[in-house]
Amino acid sequence: MSSVRPKLKPETPKAVTGWATPTGLSVWLTADGAWTEDAAELAVFTGEEAEARLAAALKQEAVVTDPYFMEVTADGKITGRETLRESMRAEPALSFGGGA
Amino acid sequence: MYRYDQFDARIVQERVAQFRGQVARRLSGELLEDEFKPLRLQNGVYLQLHAYMLRIAIPYGQLSPVQLRRLAEIARDYDRGFGHFTTRQNIQFNWVALKDIPDVLEKLAEVEMHAIQTSGNCIRNTTTDHFAGAAQDEVLDPRAWCEIIRQWSTFHPEFAFLPRKFKIAVTAAEHDRAAIRVHDVGLHIRRKDGQVGFEVHVGGGQGRTPHIAALVNPFVPEAQILDYLEAIMRVYNRYGRRDNKYKARIKILVSELGEAEYIRQVEEEFAAQRPGEKIDLPASEVARIHAYFAPPALAARPALSKTLEAAKAADPAFARWTRANLHPHKVAGYASVTVSLKPLGVAPGDATDAQMMLVADLGEKYGYGDIRVSHAQNLILPHVALDDLPVVYAALDAAGLGAANESRITDMIVCPGLDYCNLANARSIPVALAVQKVFADPAYEEDIGKLHINVSGCINACGHHHVGHIGILGVDKKGEEFYQILLGGRADEKAALGEIVGPGLKADDVPAAIHRVVEFYRAERTSPAEKFIDTLERLGHARFQEALYAAG
Repeated sequence: MSSVRPKLKPETPKAVTGWATPTGLSVWLTADGAWTEDAAELAVFTGEEAEARLAAALKQEAVVTDPYFMEVTADGKITGRETLRESMRAEPALSFGGGA
Repeated sequence: MYRYDQFDARIVQERVAQFRGQVARRLSGELLEDEFKPLRLQNGVYLQLHAYMLRIAIPYGQLSPVQLRRLAEIARDYDRGFGHFTTRQNIQFNWVALKDIPDVLEKLAEVEMHAIQTSGNCIRNTTTDHFAGAAQDEVLDPRAWCEIIRQWSTFHPEFAFLPRKFKIAVTAAEHDRAAIRVHDVGLHIRRKDGQVGFEVHVGGGQGRTPHIAALVNPFVPEAQILDYLEAIMRVYNRYGRRDNKYKARIKILVSELGEAEYIRQVEEEFAAQRPGEKIDLPASEVARIHAYFAPPALAARPALSKTLEAAKAADPAFARWTRANLHPHKVAGYASVTVSLKPLGVAPGDATDAQMMLVADLGEKYGYGDIRVSHAQNLILPHVALDDLPVVYAALDAAGLGAANESRITDMIVCPGLDYCNLANARSIPVALAVQKVFADPAYEEDIGKLHINVSGCINACGHHHVGHIGILGVDKKGEEFYQILLGGRADEKAALGEIVGPGLKADDVPAAIHRVVEFYRAERTSPAEKFIDTLERLGHARFQEALYAAG
């Protein structure tokens, strides 16, 4: 990551995201512990559960690379200081490969 | 062009095998990302915003048709059907899966290509004039010296872990098309009293602290240039800042020491080299490398082509393309063709697999098997007979590559920006495309003439915004993209850094602001022959600034 990731308070709603190790595609953690390429399916965590989920993700090196917290609203919408970057990751503005 | 010898082939193949093992261990989880990252970077693999990105070296921007076809196949089979040509004459693939990269590298090795030293704090691809070997104004073909520098710098054990990345550019022409003064080292090949030598510039660069390079030595004889480069590198390697990556480039060292002191240290280092450590490149070896770059056997042709003139008379669009995209060739009856990768509505520098295949075919059939990548992110066919231009243009135009805009306002240098890049703060491509739309009328664009707009999505300046006649720099202000406008930069032999002229603009306001500046230029130029940059330098920035910020 380029920018310094903002430190989020325990009560701040957050998701866990990273890159799938084999493909490099952006992925988000779902409620059942799977990784999805669709940000609409991300799960929202807070407090100790969030920390536990990230800790578990950090141990899945072969599955996900560089997992981290991103700030979301309580219903899973992207917000916070990294809104622009995370929005681009979740929903690219360009139709890649077919021109812009 | 240069062909691998047994040593080149072996080290590339061994590197592929080594990286295949490293990737396997990463995919199994045996290697952690923190351990793997420096290994992948040494093989050109980045992890970007959406996926891995693989940067492939194109030494001094030269490709054979076989190599370009291979890149097209990789785009088709391992990416999403396109590749992105860069300002350092390389190509990047943005969607290659890590698990596939060893196979991609193996396919590259089969055609004498690789991704070695396309990342990391080492000496990167040496770049040069994209018209090398064809330009009328060059004293000799600089590619041979680029190849010699490539061989010297590849896996050089002393310079594998420099304080920061290191970029060398070479030109042999009076008109600098390689932007040598904004490189860590810029070399201008000159002849003096019948001897070939190098004018050496050091400490140029862009990024957050832009500098124009200092002239360190006006003439280093060719036999001494590698030793002189070693002296430059050693002073940098010893004293370059390793404590702060933002102050680690050689430009900072030259700036902090002062030019005179830096030169003194280089000369001292050069003088201290013992006879046994001198490279002493034999003249026979220089001649051997030059032989790889012998000019193509161009058939004699008349300087005026009736076929070309008839086609121009019959097709105004073709005539416009010939006025914009041709460069005079040193041999009568030929021209160098710019294949613009800046058609309207396409990410600048991108080419589809089909387009790459087409250019490879044209290069083979009409271009003596020689294809180049320019630092302005276009492709070049350096040797095309004037008689063949109509058929070449027709094929290009049918494939969406017929834009008549070389060095014009829609021929922008643009970084990938936040659409792809993990470092970017703002998007570059959409703002560039929005500006392009304003100048989409070919006749209007031709009337404006030569005007370089360069766009970067962050202060790292991969889009060279510092040296655009008009530079656009994207910044993030509390989650909203703003764009600062710079005026007066240039990357040629009169290299200058642009100045930020005022507060940033919202993305939607940029096209109209640029339009006002261009209209002010058109109103104020002494004649259509006076270029934008010349009018700007004649009148000064203040009045252009007024136009930029005038109420729309």
